[in-house]
Amino acid sequence: MVFSSAAFLYFFLPVVLGLYFAAPDRWKNLILLLASLFFYCYGEPAYCPLLLVSSFLGYLHGIWIGKTRGTRCARIALISSIVTITGLLVFFKYTNFFIKNLNIIAHTKLPLLKIALPLGISFYSFQILSYTIDLYRGRAGVQRSFLNFATYVAMFPQLIAGPIVRYTTVEKELARRSHTLEGFARGVSRFVTGLSKKVLIANTLGELGDIFTRLEQPTVLFCWLTVFAFMLQIYFDFSGYSDMAIGLGRIFGFHFPENFNYPYISRSITEFWRRWHISLSSWFRDYVYIPMGGNRVPAMAWMRNIFIVWFLVGFWHGAAWNYIIWGLFFAVFLILEKCFIKRLLGRLPSFFAHLYALFFLTLSFAIFNAEGPGQGMAHILGMFGFRDVPLASAETIYYLKSYLYVFLVAVIGATPLPAAMIKKIRSRETGEKIINLLEPAANTGLLLLSTAYLIDGSFNPFLYFRF
Amino acid sequence: MNANFKNIAVTLSFVTLITGMMLANIIAPDKEFSFSERRLLAGLPDFSADLLFDGKLAEELEKYFLDQFILRDGFRSVKAFSRLFIFGQKENNNLYLVNDGIYKLEYPLDEKSVLNAAKKLNDLYDLYLQGMNVYYAIVPDKNFFIAAREGYPAMDYDRMLEILHREIRHMDYIDLFSCLSIGDYYRTDHHWSQDRIVRVADKLLSRMGAQAPASGMVYVKREIYPFYGSYHGQLGLPVPPDTMAYLTNKVIENAVVYDHYQKTYERVYAFEMFYEKDPYDIFLAGARPLLTIENRACTGGRELILFRDSFGSSIAPLLLPGFSKIILVDLRYISTAMLAEHIDFSKKRDVLFLYSAPVINTSWMLK
Repeated sequence: MVFSSAAFLYFFLPVVLGLYFAAPDRWKNLILLLASLFFYCYGEPAYCPLLLVSSFLGYLHGIWIGKTRGTRCARIALISSIVTITGLLVFFKYTNFFIKNLNIIAHTKLPLLKIALPLGISFYSFQILSYTIDLYRGRAGVQRSFLNFATYVAMFPQLIAGPIVRYTTVEKELARRSHTLEGFARGVSRFVTGLSKKVLIANTLGELGDIFTRLEQPTVLFCWLTVFAFMLQIYFDFSGYSDMAIGLGRIFGFHFPENFNYPYISRSITEFWRRWHISLSSWFRDYVYIPMGGNRVPAMAWMRNIFIVWFLVGFWHGAAWNYIIWGLFFAVFLILEKCFIKRLLGRLPSFFAHLYALFFLTLSFAIFNAEGPGQGMAHILGMFGFRDVPLASAETIYYLKSYLYVFLVAVIGATPLPAAMIKKIRSRETGEKIINLLEPAANTGLLLLSTAYLIDGSFNPFLYFRF
Repeated sequence: MNANFKNIAVTLSFVTLITGMMLANIIAPDKEFSFSERRLLAGLPDFSADLLFDGKLAEELEKYFLDQFILRDGFRSVKAFSRLFIFGQKENNNLYLVNDGIYKLEYPLDEKSVLNAAKKLNDLYDLYLQGMNVYYAIVPDKNFFIAAREGYPAMDYDRMLEILHREIRHMDYIDLFSCLSIGDYYRTDHHWSQDRIVRVADKLLSRMGAQAPASGMVYVKREIYPFYGSYHGQLGLPVPPDTMAYLTNKVIENAVVYDHYQKTYERVYAFEMFYEKDPYDIFLAGARPLLTIENRACTGGRELILFRDSFGSSIAPLLLPGFSKIILVDLRYISTAMLAEHIDFSKKRDVLFLYSAPVINTSWMLK
């Protein structure tokens, strides 16, 4: 099931909200868990047992670590949890990638496994690992209730597409949380905002990618247009989904971490990764990079650490070489920025820093969006006119004109400007009253408009679904 | 409004909306057919373990929920309005609006399809039509007149005709592009209006060497209102409907239409079809694989085999002055191989291939 669907909005959600808020507090986690399992099984019933097994493994390892804390056995328990959970992730997500590449390198003809990628495995595996690792480090307490632990792992707001919520973030709220009218209302507004971002902006910009494949004559301008559209599409799609997850979490009394902070206003690649998919980059920082020594090691070891971490970040996004190249692309820039680019940018007006960051981000997303490294490179060559394509065409101008306002709305929406304007209006008493009056109407309007788009469209799965 | 009232309003409006919609959708009976979209609506899928474990049940259920959603047509109108007038996009579902006229983007040109169409015609000639007088004509779609002027992409019609002229053998081309204008077409439908194409029929008859022109007949023009064309529901906006016009006289009224598949005899105009899923079906009762129109006012005269699409349905009655019999073949519904079972090709007849440009551009549908 996806949030941006009639089934979720107008059947699942009202029923779950009704049951949840009607139930006494001691039943709320059970209702949330059962609802989450239904949510998961609705789209992927075959892998529901895997979700439960993974949760149970994480739970058991937690008990083991808790019982052996301070001893060598706790370390064994931790390693066992990492190997088990990562092993499941690697098996389901990467086995066929390894088989394909082995067949190419060793000229073998090993058959691929007939397994699909279980929905959300990349997200819930990392959540389970955050629990066992933080438990080992003494930052979390043992969760003795499998019900509560499974609720944490399987919670439908963040189950299939994040944010990656660490156990420590919701540990207290799993046991006891408050449900306030303000929290519910904030959650609703956040959810509706996210839904609108996804349905009205992301889905619309996604059309340009389909159009590109059907073009009579590709042009340099359309190559750029497609990449810009994709950059904005993936941002609104993913941040929209995170908004919906955070909003739903709030409705149910949880405070999930922010996952995006206007990444496209970054002045460096380093800054971009502090603003983009924050829960993932911080996960790798805290659970891989820092344990490897981080930057408190000699220069060569530090560079090695950067390359390993960003190889893994790229690989996490997908079992394909273009994702690996995408990750390593960032590794190179992170190293170069640390070594000298940042100092150089510091001396220039910030406009140039923004331009530098946007330019190389554009190239990186051309790689990310491609079906393989070859296609990514071909697209980049097209962007710079190296593929014998014209600069523009009547067709390109038509699509630029057609999508211009959507682009403008998306570009403005990707900056802090709208939030800053609302904040400024709110700073005055009259402004606050006006916003308070408009907010319910805006929510209703956006929800109805998003519903209209869904009804007229077709099934529209979220982009980050298969991670 | 203070923050507390705002929170109450946000919560109540949200909960009321999602719960209200849920109940309304449960209570409302399922609809089988959408007249505005001219298609069957998805029904509740039959549950099966295979469907569930394939992950297809969710997809089928979502199609069902969306198709059966309460006030579906209203929501589609909201989306169309938002897309075209709020977000300023140039089309919705590949349809665009110019002064109350609805047009469908038909582009780019698929050269392989055009080559396939030419091959199809040549194969038919080689198989059945050798020695006959064979003609072909292409009906331009509305984009030909509007797209370039309004800044919309359209297929390369010159290139289409260039390929057809180069590839098609043994047939004479009759140009219809120069004798049509946008005013000859309905605003809300892709078809031409029968009362505006008498001169087109004249040109076809004249080029085929018929003695009597269409314009030589006296017609009575009748109108039916409102006519919501095929594009009307697809676009989803409240565009004013058209008035359907048809021409009739004693010749047309007395003509008899034989349906080779249904084995029934009918009239040229099936008025009851105006109130069915496609009002344009009043012309020869819509899409039929093989029909024969007998013109009782012209016995012992020439006969025409008209290979056609839906445009042929409305022009065929206007060609009756030239022929005692018109055999209409729709290759979208009958395969070439089966024609000899129904048509005696040993008899010499005139042959006209009359297809619209979009059909040539998607000629794979011709069997």
